Amino acid sequence: MFGHTVDFLFYVILILTGVTFIGVFSVLVYFLVKYRSRPGVAALHSHGNNTLEVVWTTIPVFIFLGLAIYGNEQWTQMRLKTPPADALPVAVIGEQFGWNVRYPGPDGKLAKMEASKVNKDNPFGIDSSDPAGLDDFTTYGELVFPVNRPIRLYLGSKDVIHAFYVPEFRLYQDMVPGRIYDFVWLKAEATGKFQLACNQLCGQGHYKMFGKLTVSTVPEYEAWAKSKAPSPAVTAVVPPSPVAMNQK
Amino acid sequence: MTTATLAHPATHGAHEHSEPTGWKKYLWSLDHKIIGIQYLFTSLLFLFVGGGLALLLRWQLAYPSTQVMPNGDIGNPASLAFINPQFYNSLFTMHATVMVFLVVMPLLIGAFGNYLIPLKIGAGDMAFPLINELSYWVYVLSGGVLMCSFLVAGGAAAGGWTSYAPLSSVAAYNGTQMGQSLWCVGIFLNGLASIMGAFNYITTIVNMRAPGMSFFRMPLAVWSLFITAFLLLLAVPVLSAAAAMLFLDLNSGTNFFNPAHGGQPLLWQHLFWFFGHPEVYIMILPAMGMVSDILSIFSRKPIFGYKAMVFAMIAIGFLGFIVWGHHMFVSGMNLVLSAAFGVSTMVIAVPSAIKTFNWLGTLWGGSIRFTTAMLNALSFVLMFVVGGLSGIFMASTPVDIFVHHTYFIVAHIHYVLFGGSIFGIFAAIYTWYPKMFGRMMDETLGKVHFAFTFIFFNLCFFPMHNVGLGGMMRRIADPTAYEHLRSLQPINQFITLAAIGLGFSQIIFLWNFFRSLKYGAPAGNNPWQATTLEWMVASPPGHGNFAVTPTVYRGPYDYSVPGHKRDYIMQNEPDAPDAPLGAPRSTVSVG
Repeated sequence: MFGHTVDFLFYVILILTGVTFIGVFSVLVYFLVKYRSRPGVAALHSHGNNTLEVVWTTIPVFIFLGLAIYGNEQWTQMRLKTPPADALPVAVIGEQFGWNVRYPGPDGKLAKMEASKVNKDNPFGIDSSDPAGLDDFTTYGELVFPVNRPIRLYLGSKDVIHAFYVPEFRLYQDMVPGRIYDFVWLKAEATGKFQLACNQLCGQGHYKMFGKLTVSTVPEYEAWAKSKAPSPAVTAVVPPSPVAMNQK
Repeated sequence: MTTATLAHPATHGAHEHSEPTGWKKYLWSLDHKIIGIQYLFTSLLFLFVGGGLALLLRWQLAYPSTQVMPNGDIGNPASLAFINPQFYNSLFTMHATVMVFLVVMPLLIGAFGNYLIPLKIGAGDMAFPLINELSYWVYVLSGGVLMCSFLVAGGAAAGGWTSYAPLSSVAAYNGTQMGQSLWCVGIFLNGLASIMGAFNYITTIVNMRAPGMSFFRMPLAVWSLFITAFLLLLAVPVLSAAAAMLFLDLNSGTNFFNPAHGGQPLLWQHLFWFFGHPEVYIMILPAMGMVSDILSIFSRKPIFGYKAMVFAMIAIGFLGFIVWGHHMFVSGMNLVLSAAFGVSTMVIAVPSAIKTFNWLGTLWGGSIRFTTAMLNALSFVLMFVVGGLSGIFMASTPVDIFVHHTYFIVAHIHYVLFGGSIFGIFAAIYTWYPKMFGRMMDETLGKVHFAFTFIFFNLCFFPMHNVGLGGMMRRIADPTAYEHLRSLQPINQFITLAAIGLGFSQIIFLWNFFRSLKYGAPAGNNPWQATTLEWMVASPPGHGNFAVTPTVYRGPYDYSVPGHKRDYIMQNEPDAPDAPLGAPRSTVSVG
């Protein structure tokens, strides 16, 4: 969704830099031809011009500050805007060399994750008795996002730094171990199949640390979620706790 | 105002050491010129090592299923397979490490810094000749350690030249404990060499300028090296400390960077980039300074806006220390911080723009001589503009998250470091080779070398912008593993072919370089009719440089002074009686 902002800003900068480059290049070529060494023509003796210095200092200052302020505005929007309340929470924890993925069950809630509890056997850093987590289901390297529904990502890592990267979404986030990133959210606008790639060198198997990412229609997503859900026997033994009900 | 002091009595003493002769001269000489040449030869050797590594990794990217080379673990015959992913990781890690620490820095700062500073300021040698030689040998040692790391079990470091922890700091994660440890040792030693060089340059420039050589009469090449020396002195110790901490994490059970035991991975990134960003300017400022001088020489014009150029470089030096965070936008840093780093990063583009406009101003109205040196200097300007402009994309935080860690960045750094620094180095070699060796390089061969290098460079690196925007990540051993990258594979193969062309074009340079040592035309004192002090003495200058300490009467760029019979007046020439050289002469302004 923010992909459009990124692309717009990209094109603004592309035009600015393109024009600058063509300008500098033309002037350079013009000078090289016009002022090539010719017998009998002496070079001008000039040490500079202070007015010009001021002009070509001031103009870039304004352009660059403008760009910085505008870019920062967009960045703040992307980062500060709280994810909508109905966003689907999805946890993705990287490890050498794959992706642990966790989806909420029918309660729509993920178990609470704590970075300090992440370890080899507990990739998501959850408390196994957390009632919100009992109906969660997990996959390995497989993500399905329902189209047009906000997705809130909870990103982390078990070992080294990985990065969650989907170029088509203009989405990149480092996953530094020792913390859970909860501010990334997105909304996919069209269905399709994509590849999730790790884009932070993470070791020998880095180059093939990719995951499957499908954006599907809502019914397709629900069918997929149902097929992945833990067997009813497991969920049935969970008495609806007051906490879970409150959260609903 | 011109309060420059002559050499200390103590440093005079240093010139009285007996100068070794024959081959020993090239091992133990304390003469700054010989040390500069030692740096030149050693770092050119490493340039070809680093280039070879680059060609291997380009080969792997273009043709990931065919393989050309045994992997790095020579100690373990069972693993003598082909380029495997781990060796590929070692290749790009060591390519960058070699190019940054063993090629670009020592060429610009070790070779030209050593050779040019004393000659250009009218001093007999560096302030501390022994430390100067020690710095060279420690640099050689650091190179040796880094090269040896290919031979140890597990192969050379494979965590990227940025060595992000905890991949780099935990042996179980990286599988190259020995290689990574040797990397730390190599970087530590290399830092030591840089620090020794840096304080030597600062002391020399502050204390040993010839009479009349005020700060604002120093050529821009000296200014740039002076500012660079300060950057080195402030930035390099941070990297050395970080490398030491990484070494302890790997070998002694500390956990500075390992979050599993309470360490902080981002600490490494802060330390590394606090060094790493000034480092970017360390690797470009000296090239900027030397190119400024070269543009002035071959345009037969004073540099346009001399003081603006000096202040722009000082501004770059200061701002260079407050932009490091822009390498970490994607690590999830605080919003206020990322805003501050975003703004400071945009602001640092301003002095670079000022410099570009002043270079154009220098060409304006000139009488431009298209020597090989000038062609390389001009392409420095043009390629630096491309690299600078593509940097603006990364300075914009939202766009950065899109292009970060893609080939767009790879294209950007190579436009700055090859298109910029390496073309600057070629320009400097073609300019000062006659002074160093007393003979001219061949101009025809030089132009052929330039043309091939320029064309292949652009064919090689420009398309990287495109594959980067197509979503190609850097540091992946096999792009064909990704569906969205398969359609880009023909471009990858094209880039590799261009890279091979670029590599082979350098043979012309080597041929010209070594052939001219013996067969080049004699250079004479001042083949380019330049104004600065190094051109007043013989080529090559004798030990001690100046028979009599020169007195400086004017700024470094008195070209094409109206009413003067020659189109250049050297810095040590007093106002000639045959020309009206009053005060207004040097303050003529345009407009």
